[in-house]
Amino acid sequence: MSTDYAYDEEGYLWPFFVFTLALIITLPLTYIVVKRSRDPAASFPRIQSNFKHAHTDTIDALRKKEKRKDRKLWLILAVVVGWAVMGYMLYLIQTTEAPTHKLWNPYDILNIDESATEKQIKSHYKKLSLKYHPDKAKPDPAKNETLEDLNARYVEISKAYQALTDEDVRNNYIQYGNPDGKQGFSINIALPKVIVSDGNGKYVVLLYSVLFGVLLPYLVGSWWYGTLRRSKEGVLMESANRLFREYRDNIDEGGVVTALSTGKEYEELLKGDKADSGLSKVESRILAEGDLSPLAGGLSVKDQEKLEDLESGPQRKALALLWAYLGRIELDDAELNKAKFAVAPIAHSLNKAFNAIALAYMNTGPLLSSYYASQLLIQALPPKSSPLLQLPYFTPAVVKAVEGDSRIHTTVQGFMDRPDAKRRSLVVGKNLLSEDQYREAIGVAKQLPFLRVAKAYFKVTGERFIIPSSLVTLVVKGRFVPPGSENVPEINPVDLEDIDPAEDDLDAIAGRKTTKLVGKDEKTGKPIYESAETELVAAPLVAAPYFARDHSPRWNVFLTDSKQGRVAVPPFTFAQFDRPIFEADGRTPTFAMQTLKAQFAAPPQAGHYTFVMHVVCDSYVGFDTKMEVTLIVEEASKAAEMEVEDEISEPEEDSIAGIMNAAKGGQPPKRRKQAKAAEEDEDSDEESGTDDEEDDDTSATNTDTEPED
Amino acid sequence: MFDVNWQGLLLPLAYLVVLVGTFLTFSRVYRRRKALESANLAPWFGPHLQRNIYLSLLHMEPEEGSEKAPKVPDSVIRAALLRRAVEDIHRIIQIRTAKAACGSLLQRGSVGDDLWQRFQRAEKEMEDELRDVVMEANALVPGWGQIIFQSANEIAANKVLRDRLEEIEAQTERDKEWWEKRRASIKNEFIKELDEESEQGQAKAGSDDEAVLVDTNTPSATPSGASKKKKGKK
Repeated sequence: MSTDYAYDEEGYLWPFFVFTLALIITLPLTYIVVKRSRDPAASFPRIQSNFKHAHTDTIDALRKKEKRKDRKLWLILAVVVGWAVMGYMLYLIQTTEAPTHKLWNPYDILNIDESATEKQIKSHYKKLSLKYHPDKAKPDPAKNETLEDLNARYVEISKAYQALTDEDVRNNYIQYGNPDGKQGFSINIALPKVIVSDGNGKYVVLLYSVLFGVLLPYLVGSWWYGTLRRSKEGVLMESANRLFREYRDNIDEGGVVTALSTGKEYEELLKGDKADSGLSKVESRILAEGDLSPLAGGLSVKDQEKLEDLESGPQRKALALLWAYLGRIELDDAELNKAKFAVAPIAHSLNKAFNAIALAYMNTGPLLSSYYASQLLIQALPPKSSPLLQLPYFTPAVVKAVEGDSRIHTTVQGFMDRPDAKRRSLVVGKNLLSEDQYREAIGVAKQLPFLRVAKAYFKVTGERFIIPSSLVTLVVKGRFVPPGSENVPEINPVDLEDIDPAEDDLDAIAGRKTTKLVGKDEKTGKPIYESAETELVAAPLVAAPYFARDHSPRWNVFLTDSKQGRVAVPPFTFAQFDRPIFEADGRTPTFAMQTLKAQFAAPPQAGHYTFVMHVVCDSYVGFDTKMEVTLIVEEASKAAEMEVEDEISEPEEDSIAGIMNAAKGGQPPKRRKQAKAAEEDEDSDEESGTDDEEDDDTSATNTDTEPED
Repeated sequence: MFDVNWQGLLLPLAYLVVLVGTFLTFSRVYRRRKALESANLAPWFGPHLQRNIYLSLLHMEPEEGSEKAPKVPDSVIRAALLRRAVEDIHRIIQIRTAKAACGSLLQRGSVGDDLWQRFQRAEKEMEDELRDVVMEANALVPGWGQIIFQSANEIAANKVLRDRLEEIEAQTERDKEWWEKRRASIKNEFIKELDEESEQGQAKAGSDDEAVLVDTNTPSATPSGASKKKKGKK
């Protein structure tokens, strides 16, 4: 068998090869480009507001610029080139004639019908041989024929005839498709012959060495150093290192803002002479006397000292701009104002790194400061300022009209809880709000997602008690009640329960499904649940007219030890919820009960543990919840005892289980006898009961509650 | 015996030379850069002022004109050493608390490797510094080395407490001022209101007195005062 590797000389195969290659590369790239070009923020609901301030255009421009930055030009270029190559290859495939390797067909050569009988074939052959025998036929000069052609034609004809009549030749024809027997076959490599032709070899070698010697190491190296350059939180490693050094155990929000100014990211933004230009102007503005705070930038004396201790340069300018941003100070300079709005998102991203650092120290104070700093950065509020400034059109003058000169700030909820007439009389007036502005502000306030916690308790799935070192679930039940909501329905006590999923429902146990209330059992009044596919709903994008990014608000739930000031259970972050927050119109709250669950390991010793539970929203000031919860951990032996009572299989004294039980040293034999007696009584009761009643036991797994205050 | 085609071997040999040469150059450049980087790492702590003071007291240069260096009293040197120990205590506490956090952050990839290197170097430096202080203390007063850090620790704790107290006390003046102002404004409002009410005829004035008491620290009471102010203006 002759195997003969030939390169694609006719040039009809390699387009297929190149087309396939281009397809494999281009399709995923196209998918990425299309996915990226879709605005991720567009799928989120928004808070409806028409509020515009003097710099809304600047903010919009910055937001757009950020989105453009996400789009990678080389990716789009690669996709375009890929499709162009594919198109050209298709064109080549279409236009290039593949060399025709005709099948050898004796009927065609003899020019007779395939259904012809042997007799017909014979007579036809005789006719043809009379006509085409080289002795008979004369070469036709018009057709440019030679004697060889005639010979060849006759040979073909006789071969065809033999193929149809002679046994051996016929077999050859049937087996190999050719009367001469087996033919050699050739394998073509779908590469153009140009590659191997003489003189081109050096270019091919050059191309190879560029690909493998330069491009591959470059790609691997840039990927590796790229991962080293940025920390896990996505900030530059150098910034993360500096933030770590700025951490203090007693850091407050102002301190966090100062720490965030150490980021290396600002050096990119404030390059060259931008590092100092206008610095004195910004500083004089933020250190001027403010309306609500002693300094207009809202910074404390300590923060001022820290600012003035810095050497002038990008860091000092960044810090001054941050304070100008937080104090919402007009800088009367387009360039400075733009820089002012540009530093805040950078600080916010740096704050993520700071948050991770604060969490590593496990101290409550810095962690809270970090979350509060995030709120302040998003809402453009200085530390210790009134949460009312989050509402549109609320200026310091308006806030002053509401709060007077009290030092305790009115929260948005507190303000909105007052009757409408009273609110109106406070804030609508000359130099304050107009009627339209007031309506707009109230409209926005009524859409802010305030998570009001109704109940928080601990449980272990499928158990009655929490035993040491078991996996405890902290269940937080709460409703989104926007400030100033009217006709808030009463809490349905059924909603507060957390029903364990059925034991055979693995999806639900793994948290892929949630239960849905279907109805109530008519007789017992017990709710019937049906597990439903989870459709997670995101909260609306945060209403932050001064923050130059779209941000989806997150809620962090964590437990702290108030005596030691330490974090006991690190934060669990929730950005999506299992029930809708607003109706389809995006304004009317549903007041649906949301369930937040966090799992952690119980302490190894039994006892009562009192934690402070924090529910902190990272985007709105004054929307946090802090309450005490108590975790009761029972001795393992007590839980075992209860289990023994619950279940029918009390281990016999002489069985292995019984010995094991005794080895655990749980109960003296006497008590176990009693338990057995009691359990036998219960047995008879339970057998008469329905299945529903047995379920009752599991629903009572909740150990501890701290009701809403 | 063998007829070696040297010319034909030239190409593979050149290839090997280039390959090995590249690797060698790369590793040398890389190592040198690494060494330079780690040598140029910024120190974890700033200059140790207390230590510098102590050392300069110990090695006083003779003044111009006089042969002998001025004699520093022993008590001053001891005090300077104690100050140095107090500063060391601050630094040690910082290192102790940061160690676990820095390690876990490094593992998660939240901070860089060079931070960890700087940290370890600082730790080592602190160990040497402690040993040095103990030795100095023993040289000054035999046996002092065992207890110098105990007293330094107490001084450090006391200082932290005192700083916090001072911070709080510094606010009193401002708070007093604010309260005087606020009390005056509340008083004015009620006097105005009383006047108005007495004009309209006798009304319930007693119940408002109670509101004054609550006013001081509940947020809900404040706005009512503000609203009354507005009423008063009208």
